This record gives sequence, structure tokens and C-alpha cells, in this order.
Amino acid sequence: MALQGKFETGEFAIIAEMEPPKGVNVAATVSHAKRVKDRVAAFLIPEMSHAVMRMSALGAAMLLERDGMETVMQMCCRDRNRLALQGDLLAAAACRVRNIAVVDGEDASYGDHHQARAVHDVSLLELLHVMQTLQSGRDMSGVELDGTPNFLVGSTTHAGAKGRSAEIEVEQMTQRAEAGARFFITPPLFDLELIRPFLRRVDRERTIILPTVLLLKSLGMARYIERNMPHIAIPPETIDRIQKAGDKARECVRIAVELTAGIKAEGFKGVVLSTLGWEHKLPDIVEGI
Amino acid sequence: MIVAERKPIEEIIEQVKDVRSLLVLGCNECVTVCEAGGKKEVGVLASALRMVFLQQAREVNVGERTLERQCDTEYLEELRDAIDQYDAVVSLACGVGIQFTAEKYPSKPVYPGVNTSFMGATQERGVWVERCQGCGGCILARTGAVCPVARCAKRLFNGPCGGSTDGKCEISKDVDCAWQLIINRLKALNRLQDYETLAPIKDWSTDRAGGPRKVVREDLRS
Repeated sequence: MALQGKFETGEFAIIAEMEPPKGVNVAATVSHAKRVKDRVAAFLIPEMSHAVMRMSALGAAMLLERDGMETVMQMCCRDRNRLALQGDLLAAAACRVRNIAVVDGEDASYGDHHQARAVHDVSLLELLHVMQTLQSGRDMSGVELDGTPNFLVGSTTHAGAKGRSAEIEVEQMTQRAEAGARFFITPPLFDLELIRPFLRRVDRERTIILPTVLLLKSLGMARYIERNMPHIAIPPETIDRIQKAGDKARECVRIAVELTAGIKAEGFKGVVLSTLGWEHKLPDIVEGI
Repeated sequence: MIVAERKPIEEIIEQVKDVRSLLVLGCNECVTVCEAGGKKEVGVLASALRMVFLQQAREVNVGERTLERQCDTEYLEELRDAIDQYDAVVSLACGVGIQFTAEKYPSKPVYPGVNTSFMGATQERGVWVERCQGCGGCILARTGAVCPVARCAKRLFNGPCGGSTDGKCEISKDVDCAWQLIINRLKALNRLQDYETLAPIKDWSTDRAGGPRKVVREDLRS
């Protein structure tokens, strides 16, 4: 368990996001992952992020694990009831997918299946408790399991997001930590100053916070995020930098590298690199750090 | 109508354990018809609470009032002069009435005295049955006016599942198979060909799945 080992030794853990394909052609996903597998601790497999239908996180995580690449599988409560969630957790554990990040999951109206009926049989916090129950050797009904799973559990925190109060984030993170979450992934962070009020309130030694570095792809993308995604703040100087750069894509990679280096220098135990379809740029980022 | 059930009195007592005065507030609409929260039930609950408080040697002023509707701010306005006499309100209206009362009087704690159950009707005295889930996309025209969303355990849209036996649902022999009812009805209407037509996959975006819903009629807005 490379990821758990890094968390324990304090060695900086790079987690690269690897979106499953929309289809059964896994060649690109596997080849992108293989190119950086020796430089990252694990691959984060999103669970149909933005409610866009794709191969399940479980399926993609199993594919990478089969090839010896460690994964962090996202789970959300939007698409499965308590039977399916527990069943998939058992399947994951049996297929060596042991790192699980429990997330909220966007509403179906965000994605490409607007008419879908969301489930939300249990909530995120309840799912964390369910995972503790499974790890105690029983299911939610109290029935004994034949073989007990063992997970490294994480979740999300909105620390550093615009418009969120540090008090509420700390309270929510405490609740999730008490329910077994050991690491917390933030939304994309472009300005470390924004997360500082939150950091002052948490025990950095005991709480593993993993900021997300999002690779911008263009000036248009940066402006779009700034205008339309109110929880993500991109400093004007970052947007200026991209605007003035000759090779904008290269400048975006540089920004991601510098942010990651800054996160490492700040003493965070790791980072999540999100490349949203530009996974071919991952080697440039991880080699630049 | 909206069908509700009286909450166990122990739960209500727990909700109001710290108050010195409370208003038991009924509603003269659906909850009166389903005998969960009308004037009669207000009287019964208020008397029961007075006895409990007496046994606990607590002096609690228990008031009684029943409004024409709690889901209507005009009727809720009638409480304006009386509301300050009470520490809290136990509302016997459905969840809509309880929330509207709380929205009307933001500084007053309002506790539920009933569990709001479903949209349904009286089948016989003392028996209420569910008929509608408010999915926002009515298909009763296709199903002989029998709703598979509200009445089929699996919300199926193209005929019964393998669990339908002798016209009963697999979840209980006391529950009719909705699709058996639909087929019987289509036969009676000589429209069995409707059953042969494949229903499209349901659009749930009009259901609760997309968050709280709102109906806006611009032609009626002032």
C-alpha cells in the first residue's frame, strides 16, 4: 500500500486523477497511467464526476489495480442504494481496491442524463459509518461477513473554496474524521492563501489534507472557471500570466508545477493532480516537481 | 388529499419537554379528513398533554386552535395576536402546513405532531391508501388511470414483474399488483392495445430528483 506508506512516513504523495473512459476502450486510460505510475503514489478514479455517465470507478480501478497500479476509488451516494454501495465496497476490497474517497456527487441535472432519478438512500457521512461497520465484520443489518474488508478511507473538504466558512469546514471534517476518514481532498486550489484560515484550525499532523491542483488548458478555461464556478478562485495574476504567454499550454503546465511545488513546500502530505482529459501532460507535471 | 398519521405522544412530549406554554395547532383540511390533525385531534392531544404535564408536576399552559388551512399565509395571519402567548407550537398539519407556520413566525419553534405519509384517499373508515407520488409527469392516460409510480413497488412502466402472483404483489399478499389492476382496467375499457405499446423511459427530472420543485404561472402572477 504505497499511499498509506507515504502517509505514514510523511513522504509527499502525488495522486493523479484518471477519468474512466466513456466506453469500453481503456487503452488511453491505462497507457496514460502507465507513463507516470512510477512517479505517483496512486490514481484517483472519479465516480462519474459532474454526473456524466462513464465507466464506473470500480471498473476502472480494478483495471489499473490488475496492472499493479494503486488507486483511490471515489464513491458517491447518488447512484446506488445501501445494498449496492455495500456490495461494491466488498467487490472493491476483494479486487485490491482498498483506498476509497467518499464524495458528494453532483446532481444528475449537471450531467448528460438529466432525466435520471438520484438515489441518496444514505448520505456521505452515513456511508463513512457504513464503511466502519463493514470493517468491523458486519453489514448494515448486523449480519456477519465472510471475510472482512480493510479500507484506507478519505473524503472531501471544501477548505480553500471561495464562499465557505472555515468553521463549518472544520466541523464537517471533524465529523468525517470521527467516522473514519483519514485524508481529505480539496477542490482545485490556485491560491494557497485561501486555505490558510482553515489550516490554522486543524491539527496538520493528524489530518491529511490533499489540495487539488487543476491543470488549466487555456485562457478561456481559466476565465470560464473564474466567471462560472464561484467556489474556485483563480488569482488575476494567474490569468494574466496565461494571457501573456506565447505557449499557453506550456505556461499552464508551469503553473501546475509551481502550485504543486508550493503545496509540497507548505508541508502538505500530498497533492491530487487533476488534468481533465489532458492526462498526456501528467509526465511533464510530475517530472517538473 | 395529504394523508398523515398521529405521532406517538412520547415523541411529542420529548419535543416539548422544555416549554412552559404551547399551542396545539390543527388544520381543517386534509388532516381533518384523515382524522390525524383536525379540531377533534387537537382536543385529544391537548388533553393528553395536560394530563402528562400534571403527572410531571409541570405547569404548562396548553392552548388549542384549528385554522382553516396552515398551507395558506392568510389563515396563518389569524394567529398573529395569540402566538406570543406561547413558547412553541405543536402543529398537527401536514409537513407543508408545519413549514408554512414556521416561515410565518420565524422566532417561534414549531414541532410536528403528525407524520405526513402520502397523497391518497379514504378507502373505508380508518383505512387510507396511497394513489399519487407527485412525480410531475402524469401517465395515467396510458395506464387506465391506475398509477404504477405510486402503486407498483418497483415503479415499473411496461407490465408486471415476475413477482406478480394471482394479482398480488410480491411484497405482500395484501397488496394488489398495480399492473394486474392496469390490465383489468384496460380490458374493461376495451383498450388492451395500450398495454402493447412500449412506454418510454421515465423522465424523473420532474420528480423530486432534481431538488425542490416550484410551479410558476406567469398569467396568474400580479
